[in-house]
Amino acid sequence: MINRTTAFAQTLFVAAFFVVPSFAADDAALKKDMTSVIALQGLPCGQVVAVKVNAENDYACSCKDGNKYRVYMNAAGRVVVEKQK
Amino acid sequence: MLLVHVTLLPLFFAAGCAAIAPEGSVAPKPGAAATQPAAPPAASTPQPVPSAAASPIAPRAAPQAENKAATPGTKTPAAAAKPPAATAPASTVAKPGPHPAAATTTPVAPPALDLAALKEQLKETKAIGVFTKITLKNQVDDLLQQFRDYYQGKAKVTMAQLRRSYDLLLMKVLSLLQDADQKLAAAIVSSREAIWGLLADPKKFATLEG
Repeated sequence: MINRTTAFAQTLFVAAFFVVPSFAADDAALKKDMTSVIALQGLPCGQVVAVKVNAENDYACSCKDGNKYRVYMNAAGRVVVEKQK
Repeated sequence: MLLVHVTLLPLFFAAGCAAIAPEGSVAPKPGAAATQPAAPPAASTPQPVPSAAASPIAPRAAPQAENKAATPGTKTPAAAAKPPAATAPASTVAKPGPHPAAATTTPVAPPALDLAALKEQLKETKAIGVFTKITLKNQVDDLLQQFRDYYQGKAKVTMAQLRRSYDLLLMKVLSLLQDADQKLAAAIVSSREAIWGLLADPKKFATLEG
């Protein structure tokens, strides 16, 4: 029993090394996507450094220059970027 | 047994991660796909472009050769465009002395515009994220609406202003593509004038709309 528990713990530990980078890659892609969206709207940002998922297709973005935006898709299918205070 | 357990399970996890990681962008969400409006009419009807609207920028052979097999209905222009593009330089340096007829029998074919293939490649490219693609599509739709208003006499914009908007939008697309998907960027650059030819002609624009 102890052996199995140890093995399971070891497995989880090793697996964590593989899982974390994949999340990081997704996160980086999302930040890049949000950076492009904000730039395409002509709004100042520089680079998105943090993204929080509010809901599906609804993100809160923090920019390197301190600006914060809400990026979401409205009912008409348009991507809207709103500046947050 | 324990050793096998310890070594194999991480590999299964790794295999699962490997399936996710290559996406390279935000995973397309079902909501996004559902709420995305229909494709812009400009890209839905591929039209052969007359020589007057031909692109003077670059030969069309390379971009056309990249058209995917997923669009078989639009493959014929690519096949037709490739050989003349390869022979085009030959016709320009053809010696008129010994074979004057040879130069006349190899006319430079007008570069074919494959809007459907371009649209498909833009949809498929991993160089642009999902939200960015939707934003670009919104802006394309806005520009098409401006053209529509212009031709109906509703808008106060001039053709020069529309051209500026078109150039700006294309520049945005190219800036997103030029590093990560150079082939598609080149295809768009070479189609630039041909697409403008469709937009700037009221009759051709009307056929796009219909």
